Amino acid sequence: MSINHHDALKTFAARLARLLMLRRAVQWLTVWFFIWGAIVLAARVAGFTQTYWLTLGIFFALPAIIFAALAARKELPVFSKIRARYDQINSCGGIVMANETAETSAWFAQLAPASVPELHWHSGRALGMLFIAAAFAATALLLPERLTHLGNQSHLAISQIVDQLKAEVQTLAQEKIVPDTKADDLKKQLAALEKDSSANDPNKTWEALDHIKQANSDSAKSAAEEAVKKTESLTQAETLAKAMEMAAEKNGAESGMDGATAAQAAQALAAMLNAAKLEEGVLNGKIPPELLANLSGAEGLNQEQMEKLAKALAANKGALSNTMSNLANLKMIDAATLAKMQAAGNKSKSNCEGLALYLSQCKGGGKCESDILFSWVLKRGRGGPGGGGPEAPMDWDNDTSEANIKFQEHVLPPSPHLSDAQLVGVSKAAPELAKADVSVESGALNNAAAGGGSGHAQVILPEHRQAVQKFFKRDEK
Amino acid sequence: MPDQILKPEELQPAAELVRKTLEQLDRILLGRKELHRLVLIGVLSRGHVLLEGLPGLGKTALVRTIGQIMKLDFKRIQFTPDLMPGDVLGSHILQETGSGKRELVFQPGPVFTNILLADEINRASPKTQSAMLETMQENSVTLLGTTRPLPQPFFVLASQNPIELEGTYPLPEAQLDRFLFRVMFDNVDAEVLEQIISERRRGELPSPTWQMERAQLEMLFATMGKIYLPTPVARYIARLVSATHPGNAEATEPVNKYVSYGASPRAAIAIAEAARGHALVSGRPSVGFEDVKIVAQPVLNHRLILNYQARFDRMTPAKLVTELVGQLDETGLNLPKDVQVKGN
Repeated sequence: MSINHHDALKTFAARLARLLMLRRAVQWLTVWFFIWGAIVLAARVAGFTQTYWLTLGIFFALPAIIFAALAARKELPVFSKIRARYDQINSCGGIVMANETAETSAWFAQLAPASVPELHWHSGRALGMLFIAAAFAATALLLPERLTHLGNQSHLAISQIVDQLKAEVQTLAQEKIVPDTKADDLKKQLAALEKDSSANDPNKTWEALDHIKQANSDSAKSAAEEAVKKTESLTQAETLAKAMEMAAEKNGAESGMDGATAAQAAQALAAMLNAAKLEEGVLNGKIPPELLANLSGAEGLNQEQMEKLAKALAANKGALSNTMSNLANLKMIDAATLAKMQAAGNKSKSNCEGLALYLSQCKGGGKCESDILFSWVLKRGRGGPGGGGPEAPMDWDNDTSEANIKFQEHVLPPSPHLSDAQLVGVSKAAPELAKADVSVESGALNNAAAGGGSGHAQVILPEHRQAVQKFFKRDEK
Repeated sequence: MPDQILKPEELQPAAELVRKTLEQLDRILLGRKELHRLVLIGVLSRGHVLLEGLPGLGKTALVRTIGQIMKLDFKRIQFTPDLMPGDVLGSHILQETGSGKRELVFQPGPVFTNILLADEINRASPKTQSAMLETMQENSVTLLGTTRPLPQPFFVLASQNPIELEGTYPLPEAQLDRFLFRVMFDNVDAEVLEQIISERRRGELPSPTWQMERAQLEMLFATMGKIYLPTPVARYIARLVSATHPGNAEATEPVNKYVSYGASPRAAIAIAEAARGHALVSGRPSVGFEDVKIVAQPVLNHRLILNYQARFDRMTPAKLVTELVGQLDETGLNLPKDVQVKGN
């Protein structure tokens, strides 16, 4: 199909305009994709999580294309230059150019056949950049959130816990429950934890804190057990010493304790104190050694020495009690242990008067054997030596143990399984309030009475399971 | 009102005269078709041509043949160092009149002709060379306060020998600028030489079989004046000449490096006229970009003043112009580099 030079020139100009507009649109689109991607990335790194709004940037691509086309249209070369290029490409020798201001139609017949010059756009680089820009924007949108928060080193608010643990360590060190070197190490560990704790990986921090807390608790618990044992021994020794003192006041009278019995009781007391091993362990107490030596001797202790021994025993008990009080203040020992400690140190429960009576009646030391004395110290009541021992006490101190007790089992109504749940949406933002016209229905539990076993069954999501287990975890007894 | 442009039937007679002239030249002088076209373009443009080449290449023969074909008066001056301006322009001679009085009578020099062959023009002294300035630019001679016009048309076809430069006086820039073309005479091919020695006994040239009448020459000049120069082409010529000046926005890197002074506005006029002549020789009523490209080098290569760095790097004006013409966008369309326009 033949075409004249006028039409060919118009077609060439139109194609050139379209090509230049397309080229400019690709450039602007590329720039917009880069800008959009940068904005999205910056917003997400800054903590903006509602990517729905960020995706709306795609709608700005269309205005960018339109404005680019308009800008390219404004910058289009003047028609006379296009005409000149057409003249040159088609070797028209200036006749087409001259046609702008002169009548040259007569010469057109002598020109070569008209043809529209071909336009070649080497678009590889431009389209490549566009693809890269689009990929950048898409990556910025789809980047996982954990990667966008890599740069944010937010710290955990653990200063309160660390302070508490430091106080525990300090107390343990003051009470000589843990060595000073270990206490210093623990303090350094706590300081490092407080400094390096990251909210991005809290498990590590929590595990370390739990480990230190557990270590403190274990140390305190073992110290408490030791304290309870020593306090029991000291209380027994104190009871025997008091009984001996009461029996010795009657010395010389017919009803008083004779010398052989006193010596035998003193040896029993010495054996009791030796068995208590006050000098060993972390909570080591001390009894003056001369008192222990005289106690084991043949003469026993006189009145003054007995008073000293009683004071030493009371001081040791007081020290242990103070230690336990300090641990209890920091809640490093539980209430049961504290109660045990109090029970162990309670002299009123011992049968001091009965023992004194027994010692005064035990003439010649024949019947005053250590085992019997121990049993008198341990047992309570006011039984007489001839009546088969002290009577069984009736008190309300010992709690009923719940070990190995089975309760009647009841089958609870089935809770909704997670697999049956319907995912409505995942949002990290504050939950939105339902509209007023939406009625809240509680389904099968509608009108159910509270407390009747039909309570709200909370579905525990997998990511919360560990935290819940840790919260409800109890020490195994 | 639209500009007037020659119609095909108006251009056709002139084109036919050009064709016949070139045919005669090509027949008489073998192997120099392109040179013949350039010289004819120079004549049609009423410009002067500087022919540069070794002796024996046919410079004089070319000029003489043109004079014969166009039936123009032809004179030759062999320039020598002792040649005086009066030898060229003419002088006043004391003569006795019939009444017995004596008066100075002007005796015209050889410059009063249509075609003047100034052979080895660079051997004359600057004083004598300068005597040619007025004749070449004004087509007149002024002596003793009297200006005498030269016969029309008037062309100077000067020759210059590029060797044996001892005792020569290089043409001043002002005079070089008055030459429309500076055309290099190269050696002809062996085949042409064989044809010359086999067909031309003792090198004698054949006589022209056709000669142009004076009226036809006038008609040719009149047609030449009607060749249309489109605005984009005029703009291209202006940009091209401007680009020969170092520091110009469109100057190429070699121009900035090697050129001391670029071409003058007279060069732009010369290119436009020569391009018109080329369009007429090509049988077209308007000038195209290709016409400008063809005449640009012979017009510009003696108008660029190069620096010493160009001599060291053996850079010539011809190379500079070729590179400049190759790089400059004719239309000024300035399309992006990744967009190309190609013909089918």
